[in-house]
Amino acid sequence: MTALTAFLNTGAVFLLCLVVLPILAGLAVWLLKKRYAAQLTAALLAGAANLLFALALFFGGADVRIPFAGFGFDLHFLVSGLSAAVLLVAAAVTLPVVLYSVSYFKGSKQGGLYLLFYFVSIGFVNGAITADALEILAAFWEGLLGCMTVMLLAGSVTKPRAALKMLWICAVSDLLFMFGVIVTIHVSGQTQLSAIERLPVAGEGALGCVLLLLGAMGKAGVMPFYSWIPTAAEDGPTPFLAAFPGSLGSILGGYLLLRVVTKVYAVAPGSAVSVFLLAVGAATLLLAGMMALHQKNLKRLLAYAAIGQAGTLFLGVGTGLAAGAAGGLFQMINHAAVTSGLFILAGAVELKMGTTDLDHIGGLGKKAPVLGSCYLLSGLSMIGFPGFAGFFSKELLFGAALEAGVGWFVAAMIGVFLTAVLFFKVGASLFFGPLKLPSGQRNVRRTNAGMIVSASALALFALLPGVFGGWVQRMFVEPALNLGESFAGWPKSALLVILLLAALALAALDFALGRKKAGSALKCADHLTNLPLVKPLLAAADAGKLDPYNGLVSAVDGFSAVCQKIEDGVSWFYDKGVPGAVSGLGGALHRIVNGSLTRYLVMAIAGVAFILLIYLVVML
Amino acid sequence: MRGLLLACILTPLIGAFLLPLIGRRSEKARNAFALAFVLAALVGSCAFLPTVLAGNGVSVQATLPLGLSFGFKADALAVFMAVTSTLVASVIVVYSFGYIKEYGNQNEYYMMVVLFIGAMMGLVYTTNLVFIYLFWEISSLCCWRLIGFYREEITIVRANKAFLVTVLGALIMLVGFIGIWGQTGTFDMEAMRGVHVPAWAVVCIFFGILSKSATFPLHSWLPDAGVAPSPVTSLLHAAVLVKIGVYAYARLFDVTFAIDPAFTTIVPVIAAVSALISAGCAMKATDLKRVVAYSTISQLAFILLGVSSGTAVGLAGGMLYILAHSVAKGGLFLCAGVVEHNLHTKDMAKMGGLITRFPVTAAAFLLCAFSVMGVPPFSGYYAKSMVITGAVDAGHLWIAGVFVLGAFMTVFYLMRAFFKVFLGPQTNPQAREKEPVMVASVLFLGVLALALGLFINLPAELAGKIAEVMA
Repeated sequence: MTALTAFLNTGAVFLLCLVVLPILAGLAVWLLKKRYAAQLTAALLAGAANLLFALALFFGGADVRIPFAGFGFDLHFLVSGLSAAVLLVAAAVTLPVVLYSVSYFKGSKQGGLYLLFYFVSIGFVNGAITADALEILAAFWEGLLGCMTVMLLAGSVTKPRAALKMLWICAVSDLLFMFGVIVTIHVSGQTQLSAIERLPVAGEGALGCVLLLLGAMGKAGVMPFYSWIPTAAEDGPTPFLAAFPGSLGSILGGYLLLRVVTKVYAVAPGSAVSVFLLAVGAATLLLAGMMALHQKNLKRLLAYAAIGQAGTLFLGVGTGLAAGAAGGLFQMINHAAVTSGLFILAGAVELKMGTTDLDHIGGLGKKAPVLGSCYLLSGLSMIGFPGFAGFFSKELLFGAALEAGVGWFVAAMIGVFLTAVLFFKVGASLFFGPLKLPSGQRNVRRTNAGMIVSASALALFALLPGVFGGWVQRMFVEPALNLGESFAGWPKSALLVILLLAALALAALDFALGRKKAGSALKCADHLTNLPLVKPLLAAADAGKLDPYNGLVSAVDGFSAVCQKIEDGVSWFYDKGVPGAVSGLGGALHRIVNGSLTRYLVMAIAGVAFILLIYLVVML
Repeated sequence: MRGLLLACILTPLIGAFLLPLIGRRSEKARNAFALAFVLAALVGSCAFLPTVLAGNGVSVQATLPLGLSFGFKADALAVFMAVTSTLVASVIVVYSFGYIKEYGNQNEYYMMVVLFIGAMMGLVYTTNLVFIYLFWEISSLCCWRLIGFYREEITIVRANKAFLVTVLGALIMLVGFIGIWGQTGTFDMEAMRGVHVPAWAVVCIFFGILSKSATFPLHSWLPDAGVAPSPVTSLLHAAVLVKIGVYAYARLFDVTFAIDPAFTTIVPVIAAVSALISAGCAMKATDLKRVVAYSTISQLAFILLGVSSGTAVGLAGGMLYILAHSVAKGGLFLCAGVVEHNLHTKDMAKMGGLITRFPVTAAAFLLCAFSVMGVPPFSGYYAKSMVITGAVDAGHLWIAGVFVLGAFMTVFYLMRAFFKVFLGPQTNPQAREKEPVMVASVLFLGVLALALGLFINLPAELAGKIAEVMA
C-alpha cells in the first residue's frame, strides 16, 4: 500500500490513475458493449482499481503539482483529511453502482454510451474531490454537468425532458458556484483551497460563501435545486438515479458543504449564513418528506426521500457546530449507501414487475426475500433506527440542530416521523401482504445476479458503519474534519435517543392507525397528506406551482419577451427609421430642387448671405 | 522570416484574384487553390509561433510618400489572431466544397472568401492605422458580396444593411484615427506605444469596433445576415469577421494606446447590455441560424468584457475566448448548414428528432454547444472563467454577475435549440447527412473544441505572452 501511495504521488501518475484511467476504462466498456462478460470484467476491474487507489490515498495522502495552463489553472491535487475520506466513500459506493449499471444495460443499444460517460464522471468526481486548485475544482465540478446530460439522454433518448430540466437547473447552480470560486479567489488572494483558512463572511466574502453553498445545494439536490430529480426518476434510467442523486451528487454536495462551512469560510453558529442553511435543510426535509408520502410511484417516492435525506445533511452541518459537521460526514456516508441501494432496489423491482407503480404491485417479500432484506436494512438505517449508521449520524445532526434552536430540532423530528411512516408504507405495501402483479403479468420475472449483489453490498454498507460506529468516528470522521473533540460511541444525550425513539414509535402507531382507517398500507398516510395546510400545498406541488423550474422558465420567457421588444425597436430603426428618414429627406430635397430658376436664385442669394454672416461673425 | 510575413498576407490577397481565372478552366483546381492559399497563410502564421513564444517578433517596415509608412509585424497578438482565423477558415473552405457546389457564382464566392482572409491577414499584421482602415473596408466589401450571394431581393437588402452599418462605423473610426494623427503626427502604431489618446477619438474608434463586432445597438445586421450561405455565416459572422472589432480593441487600447480608465467601466457595461439582450432574443428565435447569430452577439460581449477589463487575466481570457468561440461557433453555424442544406428550412418548428438521421451532426453540435456554454473540459470553459475573473479583479463584481446570468442564458438557448432540432419526435424520416465533406468538417470542429480544452495550456501560453505585453 505504501508503494502504491508513493507511485500515485509521482506527478502525472496521479492524474492518469484517478482521472484518465476511469475515462479509458469507460472507452473500453463502451467498445465491449456486445461482449457482456468482458464488459462486466473491465468495469469491475476499473471500479476495484479506483477503490484501491482511494484506499492508498486515504492512508498515505497525496500532494501533486502539475503545471498546466497558468491563470489559476495549474493542476494541484491534495489528498488529506476530508478529501481523503470523501474520495474513499465515493469509490466504495461507486463499485456496486458500476456492477448494477453494467447489469442494467446488458444488451441495451445506448448502454455503452451511458457507461462511457458514467466512467468519465467517476474521473471527474475524483478530480473534483482531490483538486486543491479552486479553478480546477470548478472545472471538474462543472464538467460533470455535460456527463450527466449525456447519461440521461443516452438512457432515455425518447424522453429528453429530464435531461433538459436537469441541465438548466444544475447549470444555474454550477455557474453560481463558478462565480463563487472566482469571488473567493478574489477575496482571499489565494488560488489553492489549502491556503484559505476561514475567511470572514462579510461583504464580498459573504457573497463568495453563499455562492459556493448554492453550488453545494445544486449538486446535493436540495431546495430549490431539487425538482429535476423526481422527473429523472420518471424518465431516466435507474442507474443514473443510483449514481447521481443517490450517491455521487450527494457526496460532492456534502463535501463542498463541509469544506466551505468548516474550512474555507468562518460560518459561525447563529450567523445569517447558518440560519440560511438551516432553513434550506428544514424546508427540504419537510416538503420532500410530505411529497414522498404523497407518491404512488416507487422511483418518484424514493427520489423525494433522497432529497429529504440531503436536507438532513444541510440541517446539521448548517448549524456551524462541530457535532453537526461530524454528523454531516457520517450522514453523507449513510445517505450515499442507503439511497443508491434503494434506487437499485427500485430498479430490480421494476425489472421483476415491469412497473414501479405501487398501485399495481405488492407482496414481493416471499418471491424476492433478498430484496426485502435489503430494503429492511437500508430503510432502518435511513430512519435512524438504533444500531444502524443513520442512528449515529442523525443523533449528532439533531443534537446540533437542538443546540441551534428548538424550532430546527422540531423540524428534524417531524422529518424523522415522515421518513419512518414512508418506510412502513413502502415496506408493508411492496413486500408484505398478498402478491399483487400488474395486469397481464403472470409471475414475477427474474433479475440478474449483478443487481442483487450490488443492492446487498450497499445494504451491508449501510449496516456496517452502524455496527462499528465508534470505530468509523475515530478512524474516519474525526481525522477528516480535525474538529478537536470526539463524538465516537453511543450518543451522550439520553434525551435525544428517547426523543428519536418516540418519533419512530409515533410513526409506527400512526402507520398502524392510518392503514386501519384507509384499509390499505399504500393509503396509510392519506390522513397526513389531507391535513388542512398540507393538502393545498401538495395540490400546488402536483400542479407544478412549487417547482422552481417552472418559475425559472417563466422568468426566462418574460425576460426574452422584453429583449425581443427592444430588438424589434432597434430593427425598426435600421429597417424602417433610417430608410424612411433618408427617403423623406430625398423627397424634400426633390421638392425643393424642382427646376425653378427663381427658386435657385433665391437659394444662391440666401447661401451667399449665410456665408457672409459667418464671415462677419468670425471677423468681428 | 520577413518574406514569410509578406507571403502570409499577399498569398491570399493576390491569390484571390487568380481564382476566377483558374475556375474558368477547372472547378476542382480552383477549389484546391482556394484551400491552398488559405492554408499557406495558416502554415506561414504557425511558423511564427516559436519566435513569438520566445518573446520576439518579426517586422517589415517601409517608408511611403506623403509621410506615410508601411509596416507589418508578427507579434504574439497578431499571430494568435492569424492562426485562429486561418485555421477555422481552412475548415470552412473544405466545407464549402460540399455546400456551394450546386450554386452559381462559385468563382466569385471563392475569390471573396480568400480575399477576405487576405484582408484579415493584412489587418492583424499591420502596424499602421491607415492600413487597418484599408483592410477593414476590404473585409466589408467581401462581406457585402458574400451575404448577397444568392442574389435574391431579401439577401441584397440584408447585404446592403450589413455593408452600410459596418462602413458607417468604419468611417467614424477613421475620424478617430485622423484625430490621433492630428495629435501624434503619425499613423504608425509602433511609434505611438503608450500615447494617451483623447476620449472623443476613442469613442469614434469604438463606433467602428461595435459595428464590426456586432455589439448592441450596432448589431442588427448580424442576425439578418443569416440569409447568406451557411459557410459564409460561419466564416464572417462567427469565426473571423466579427472578431475584427474585438481584435482592434485589444490591439489599439490594450497594447498600443493609453485611454481614460473610465472606459474600463463603460465598455463592460455596454458589453453586459449586449450580452443580455441578444441572449434574450436567442431564446425567442425560431430560426436556427438566428439563434446562433444572436448567440454570437452575446458571446462577443464576453470577449469585449475580457479585453476591456484592463486586467492581464481578462485580456488572456478574451484571446482564448476568440479561439474557443471561433472554433465552436463556426462549428455550430456549419451544423446548422448541414441541417438546412438537407431540410431546406431553418425553422426549428419544422425540425425534431434529427439525432437518428444526423447522428454525427448532432454529436458535433453538442460538442460545439458545450464549448460555447463553457462546460469543462471544453476550451470555452477556461475562456469564460478567465474573462469573468478579469471583471472581478477589475472591481466590477456586479458586471461579472450579469455575465454569469448571460452564461446561464447561453446554456438555456443552445440546449433549447439542440432539443428542438435533434430530439423529440421524428419529423423528417427521409432526411440524412448527404455530403461527407460537410459532415467531416463539423465533426472536426467539434472534436477540435474539445481538444483545445484538453490542451488549453498551448494556446494559454500564447495568450499569456499577449497579456505580458499589456502588463
